[in-house]
Amino acid sequence: MKKAKRPRRFWLGILTVFTALALVTILALHESYREATTTVFNLKNLLASQAHTEGEYSILVDEQGRILDMMSRRVYLNDEFIAADNHRYKVIRIEGNRAICREIGIEQLSLDKSTLSPDATAPVQARGSQVIGVYHSHDDESYVPTQGTESIPGSGGILQVGTSFANRLRSMGLTVIVDQTSHAPHDDAAYRRSRRTATGLLQKGAAAIFDLHRDGVPDPTFYRRTINGQNVTMIRLVVGRENQNMSANLDFAKRLKAAADTRYPGLIRGIFIGAGSYNQDLSPRAMLLEVGTHTNTLAEAEGGVTLFADIVPPVLGVAAQPAASRTTSTTADWKGVLFVILAVVLGGGAFLIISTGSWEKAVSRLKQVTSIEWVNLLGWRRAKRPLLPGLKEREAGSFKKKVRYDRKTAPESLPNEERADWQKD
Amino acid sequence: MTGYTAGVLMLVIIFVLVYFGLAHRVLDRLYLSDRAALALIVAMIFGSFINIPITSGRVVTSVNVGGGLIPLGLAVYVLYRAGTGREVGRAMLGAVITAGVLSGINILTRGREAWNVYGLSLLDPIYYYPLIAGLVAYLVGRSRRAAFVGAILGVLLLDGIDLIYYLRTGLRGTVAFGGAGIIDVTFMAAVIAVLLAELIGEARERIQGGPEVSKRPRSLLAGLRGAPLKPLPDNKKDNGGDQGEKSKETS
Repeated sequence: MKKAKRPRRFWLGILTVFTALALVTILALHESYREATTTVFNLKNLLASQAHTEGEYSILVDEQGRILDMMSRRVYLNDEFIAADNHRYKVIRIEGNRAICREIGIEQLSLDKSTLSPDATAPVQARGSQVIGVYHSHDDESYVPTQGTESIPGSGGILQVGTSFANRLRSMGLTVIVDQTSHAPHDDAAYRRSRRTATGLLQKGAAAIFDLHRDGVPDPTFYRRTINGQNVTMIRLVVGRENQNMSANLDFAKRLKAAADTRYPGLIRGIFIGAGSYNQDLSPRAMLLEVGTHTNTLAEAEGGVTLFADIVPPVLGVAAQPAASRTTSTTADWKGVLFVILAVVLGGGAFLIISTGSWEKAVSRLKQVTSIEWVNLLGWRRAKRPLLPGLKEREAGSFKKKVRYDRKTAPESLPNEERADWQKD
Repeated sequence: MTGYTAGVLMLVIIFVLVYFGLAHRVLDRLYLSDRAALALIVAMIFGSFINIPITSGRVVTSVNVGGGLIPLGLAVYVLYRAGTGREVGRAMLGAVITAGVLSGINILTRGREAWNVYGLSLLDPIYYYPLIAGLVAYLVGRSRRAAFVGAILGVLLLDGIDLIYYLRTGLRGTVAFGGAGIIDVTFMAAVIAVLLAELIGEARERIQGGPEVSKRPRSLLAGLRGAPLKPLPDNKKDNGGDQGEKSKETS
């Protein structure tokens, strides 16, 4: 009916898209000319500022008001964290930038004794050809005392921290792929961009991937420790709650902390379990590290991450000690499996009930899904089998006959029509 | 991947199966047969490993076959098959609004830790894409196909905006269209957006007590179960109703 008109409208539509794109570009360019301002919570700044907000941070306190932790991220209700002393807290109330936490238990973090000996000072030699991936979602993050600024888009100090981490791992015989792809600008879309980098690392066979960041708490001593006579930064492990791998990755984090606590007590600032996913849905062995804060020096951060590298191979089960076998499947991994299955059953069930209106109809619709929804696939296989007698004739017979024969596979047509009913627009 | 053992592998496999299953159900609603949908998913999986480089140097650009080219092709195909020009327009408008809203959020969060803009960090950024695409498509077009097109073109437009940003600012950067393949935000957003549009649509229909029947093309109404439609007089044409007929023939 509108065949002649359709192409014109089609191209008009495409033109609209490009016009809008041009408009957004002009706006974006206009945006980049604006000067950065420093105040943060006013509307103008919220909409227009390019300023970094290091220095803004959340303070986690217990019910008595004692400071438990600080971090430059907004904390939400039900976020949890495991402090350096293994006490686990849950955020129960938010008051401004203070999060009031309640202790919910003490984690019993332990590693196989054979996995790691506390006095093992010599670097362990990795066994086999393990691949570890390192990348940076926020590649601009820098260390002010060394670099003079907290943000250098495309080449922040965090890249050097990643290189130090990788070099140490390599010295232990691991294969490390460091991907320094820039994911600038430092915004919400950084994780969409870095998702591609992370997937690339996994495609290259990385058994674990590390996304290296640094925190934005102003007090440098909050992250500074002296370990083995050397000033180093502490490291925080961050696990995102919003993905199916949460428990597996939390378990990974706990094992990393246990190993570090044994070998370098004080190195781990804690484990934060917060809102977000941080591309940890891609792998059950994906970890976000916060290496110190912007007011630490680059050397301190490199020192901290180098110590941390020492404990990675044994946790991944790739150290050369005979007792350290491959990473074992943990209860948390199986919990993750259960979680996905449960989510599908509950989500799918809820959807069926909403869309059909009653339990009985939902059940009959479910039967439809198994019998009709997949009918083309089944039909695909079935079509290879003869539905009527005379197979031999058909195989040897003429093409004409075959065509006529195929058209007569009428039993297929009924469910297909029925199916079209809910293949709605 | 050699460090993975039973539990971890199982977790990955189950997730992948569920995701591909959902993706297949979604493609099945886009003028495609089960077979074609399955073939496309297989193509996207293999295509995920193929990156076609476009430019190198300071700004590296590439397009992934499984995550960029095939979804783009699908979106264009859906637009091409759309019943009316209005439907095409709505889908395009949906894409533009999706890209606009998302890039607004990006500007809002630029230079901050993602979590420091109130409310936006409650959900991980990757979930905004499907939510916004699905919602916008539903509001604009009330259509799953519009949601699909809106999500894919919307995210690709965002990549285009990134490219312009890099060119303009002189920063080093990489724009990998659909770079993470079938699990890239581009296709993932489309899958979730369609499911979301379906959920909203079904819930709304349920709340209002059944599907809307007035002012709908006859071909759509014919698909509903119930009393048969009155036959049309010979001289009357069923405007806007050709789409339902066609999809029935081909699916």
